[in-house]
Amino acid sequence: MRMYRRLAAVATVAVTALALTACGRDSGGGADDARPVGEGKATGEITVWAMGTEGEKLEAFAQDFTKENPDAKVTVTAIPWDAAHQKIASAIAGKQTPDVSMIGTTWMGEFAKTGALDPTPPGLIDSSTFFEGAWNTTVVDGTSYGVPWYVETRLIYYRKDLAQQAGVTAPTSWDELKDFARAMKEKAGAQWGISLQPGGTGSWQSFLPFAWSNGAEIVRDGKFTLDSPEMVEALGYYQSFFTDGLSPSDLAPGALETGFVDGSIGAFISGPWHGGILAEQGGAAFADKWAVAPMPRKKSATSFVGGSDLAVFKDAKNRDGAWKFVAWLSRPDVQVKWYQTVKDLPAVKKAWEDSTLSGDPFLKTFGEQLDDAKSPPAIATWEQLAAAIDGEVEKVCKAGTSPAEALKAAQEKATGIGTGA
Amino acid sequence: MATPPMAPAPTPAPTVEPETRRAVRPEPTAAGLRRLRRLRRRRALVGWGFAAPFTVLFVAFMALPVLASLAMSVTDMRSTDLRNPFAVEFVGARNFVRLFGDELFHRAAVNTAIFVVVGVPLTIVAGLAAASGLNSGLIRFRSLFRVGFYLPVVTSIVAIAVVWRFLLDPQAGPVNNLLRLLGVDGPNWLANPTTALPSITVLAVWRNFGFLMVIFLAGLQAIPAHLYEAARLDGAGRWQQFRYVTLPMLRPTLLFGAVVTGIGYLQLFEEPFVMTQGGPLSSTLSVSYHIYNQFGFGNYGYAAAASWVLFVAIVGLSVLQFRLLRARD
Amino acid sequence: MGGTDMLRRRDRLARAVLYAVLLAGLVVVVAPFVWMVLSSFKPEGEIRRVPPTWWPETFTLDNYARLFSQLDFPRYFLNSVLVAGLITVGNLVFCSAVGYALAKLRFAGRQVLFATVLGTLMVPGMVTFVPQFVLVSQLGLVNTYAGLVLPFLAGPFGVFLMRQYLLSIPDDLIEAARVDGAGELRIFWRVVLPLCGPALATLGILTFLSSWNSFLWPLVVATTEDKYTLPVALALFSVGQHRTSFGLLLAGAVVVVLPVLVVFLVLQRQFLRGIATTGLK
Repeated sequence: MRMYRRLAAVATVAVTALALTACGRDSGGGADDARPVGEGKATGEITVWAMGTEGEKLEAFAQDFTKENPDAKVTVTAIPWDAAHQKIASAIAGKQTPDVSMIGTTWMGEFAKTGALDPTPPGLIDSSTFFEGAWNTTVVDGTSYGVPWYVETRLIYYRKDLAQQAGVTAPTSWDELKDFARAMKEKAGAQWGISLQPGGTGSWQSFLPFAWSNGAEIVRDGKFTLDSPEMVEALGYYQSFFTDGLSPSDLAPGALETGFVDGSIGAFISGPWHGGILAEQGGAAFADKWAVAPMPRKKSATSFVGGSDLAVFKDAKNRDGAWKFVAWLSRPDVQVKWYQTVKDLPAVKKAWEDSTLSGDPFLKTFGEQLDDAKSPPAIATWEQLAAAIDGEVEKVCKAGTSPAEALKAAQEKATGIGTGA
Repeated sequence: MATPPMAPAPTPAPTVEPETRRAVRPEPTAAGLRRLRRLRRRRALVGWGFAAPFTVLFVAFMALPVLASLAMSVTDMRSTDLRNPFAVEFVGARNFVRLFGDELFHRAAVNTAIFVVVGVPLTIVAGLAAASGLNSGLIRFRSLFRVGFYLPVVTSIVAIAVVWRFLLDPQAGPVNNLLRLLGVDGPNWLANPTTALPSITVLAVWRNFGFLMVIFLAGLQAIPAHLYEAARLDGAGRWQQFRYVTLPMLRPTLLFGAVVTGIGYLQLFEEPFVMTQGGPLSSTLSVSYHIYNQFGFGNYGYAAAASWVLFVAIVGLSVLQFRLLRARD
Repeated sequence: MGGTDMLRRRDRLARAVLYAVLLAGLVVVVAPFVWMVLSSFKPEGEIRRVPPTWWPETFTLDNYARLFSQLDFPRYFLNSVLVAGLITVGNLVFCSAVGYALAKLRFAGRQVLFATVLGTLMVPGMVTFVPQFVLVSQLGLVNTYAGLVLPFLAGPFGVFLMRQYLLSIPDDLIEAARVDGAGELRIFWRVVLPLCGPALATLGILTFLSSWNSFLWPLVVATTEDKYTLPVALALFSVGQHRTSFGLLLAGAVVVVLPVLVVFLVLQRQFLRGIATTGLK
């Protein structure tokens, strides 16, 4: 028994000591200085982490870079998307980061705030060559911490043939979208006019475009504006699809594509990857039956832009080579070639002039939407804030909570969460 | 239920063996005391010799991180502090206070409590029923059933999710189709906030009763046959035999099953994660899931505090069931 | 005479009902596994269909072909075997040694050791993850087999299991061996361990199962693909940012489950005996 007490005492002292040696925070770190990168060709080994298909294909693709920079070698480690965020965070904690990593656009705020990312060097990359929404995903506290690599944005996928049957064309305004959905239901026999995500993880990507199109913002001048009248109006509009019975509030996973193919769902909002899924599920015969249309206009016709950025780490062993590799990947011709390899939409505007992209009507629409697409603020607490917004949107769509009430709660939660500045 | 091996119940601390008592009683001579000390030292050497490799690894890779996470729970550490983990503020009990005011945590705690209170007895009943059935002497091919009932443990959770979503599908699923035959209009099990948690409970029971079934089977087989014969001679029917012979003899095993399942169910995570993502409207959010989310958001200090609260609950439940066991002995 | 006839009829009815109920239970329990195996032979579109199909409408070996060609399968399989094998063997050796010490040897501090080990068992795993990784990186073990294996080489669960089982071994055997002059190590190796078959089989299977399927730790510790284990490699090729390739995922799941099933079937009888005995203590 004496042993127990002694050990307990030792343990408590140890813990308290550990806790008290915590020195506390520095108040106000200085802004990160962007240091320039040397001239000339890249040399040495450049270690890169990339997720998914990009990870698989990048090393072979980088052989062109080695041709131009014979003294350099690019080593790519592919990491699974599952838990990639955890892997990068742990690598930062254990100081085991590579030279370059692909980072999801919504993660940039958090990772930049850890101080692990290197600010984009001046003079190496021209920010105006990128889509504005995409570039903004790299800007944290006024400094850019990387470069957009590829983008994705959201459009309305709709059944062309059913629309014809219902006597409507692709909607261009909010009212037209409502009428469109109604016509799909009443005249073309669809069970649901349009499928919108009724809350749940990631529903902010469906809802915020409507908010942005109405002039609402998440953050303005450093303060949250989630309960602004524009935001409330947008959420009210979003909710009306559910209350009017035009949108399902409990679709099972997989039922969306099945429903779109068999005509019970007239339209939905999604990104470029759904093209491939529909081809797979509907087969060749289905290809003519659907098309994409840009987001409808209220004050603007804004969509969501996501994708991935490339960032160089402060602890990079080959900072010089790393940035040169990133700059190479941002060249318009390389961006086009990358699209042809992996089907990732280029983040560089000039790349869209290539006929592979401008000649395809499906892709062309995505390209045009990218000119008016926004991203959420690059703040360290975005994931938590997004989850709070998702929760309130769910209450509005499934439990009939009033938009004003829900957004007031969201605003309170947001203020509590803070921007992590 | 968490995939790492479930811990069998802590047994009551072993009663002091007579030899120790003998050895500890000091002999009155100085030589005797010296001998005692030498004996103790030798024993310590041998004991720690056996335990050394394990203890070194354990202290390094288990105990230290545990202490670190304890320290983490009393700071405001976030993921943005990962490069400078010591440059964080000591906040004392603030994380814990915030935790108890967090409505999501309340919801998660209530959900988890309901799940444990309902799920543990259900799993025990299912396991016991299956074991009794297999043990009744009426069934052959026992091995086939045993292996079969184990398969959920090794089946990919993805496959389980797809099949169960189909089973519970409001239009096409067999469950609702069966109810329709009986004239009942079945709800949308997974999308309705009232029925989502019960559905997850049933899924968890289905997934885990095989493990308990095996334990109970062995326990049943250990009950001496003459007790049943005696009961039969006294005129007891099958049900009465079960009540007055089986259940009392099985008590230690039953309590073991309860503790094991309780500990696992308190850490419910995989089923809501894959089936409902904690929804709809947080009706299937469990404490472990909430902690996972908080770690994902980068609120390391807060999440650590929540983990330690869960730890206290686990220890509490184990001690409670412990006491019940000891009281009956 | 009428009495026994009625009894036999009742028995037969009971048996029929029991078989029916158990078979129904078996079907429900085995269904997802069967679906998983059957669906690994279906094309992607058919797998995703709602409601799901059972027998493949279009039978294809494409998923497995892609799995083995896209993945450097032998490498990842060997990594998994090495890591899971080392962890399992390590646990069997170290945990039985400590379990024996805690159960049968008396030494200063053993209650504390046992209490600490038991306490650690109840700590939710997520909370120690980042500190463990930081420790491993400080020790320079990132992207090494040592880093993949060492933290799990001696687990509290194994210690607990072995101690419980070893408590049931009669003291007289050990005393007799001591009286005969055998050294402690010899007693452990020659007298005690051979009696531990069921417990060792149980610990072996459970440890193998959890280390074989382990995903997050190998993902974070390995920084180059040549150290990936099978679950990590499978996630890499089947889970995308916006869509999962179900065909690859299910084919991978089947491939991953086979060694576990083999180990389980081989050690089944020992395992079931082992769980039951430790449970009863």
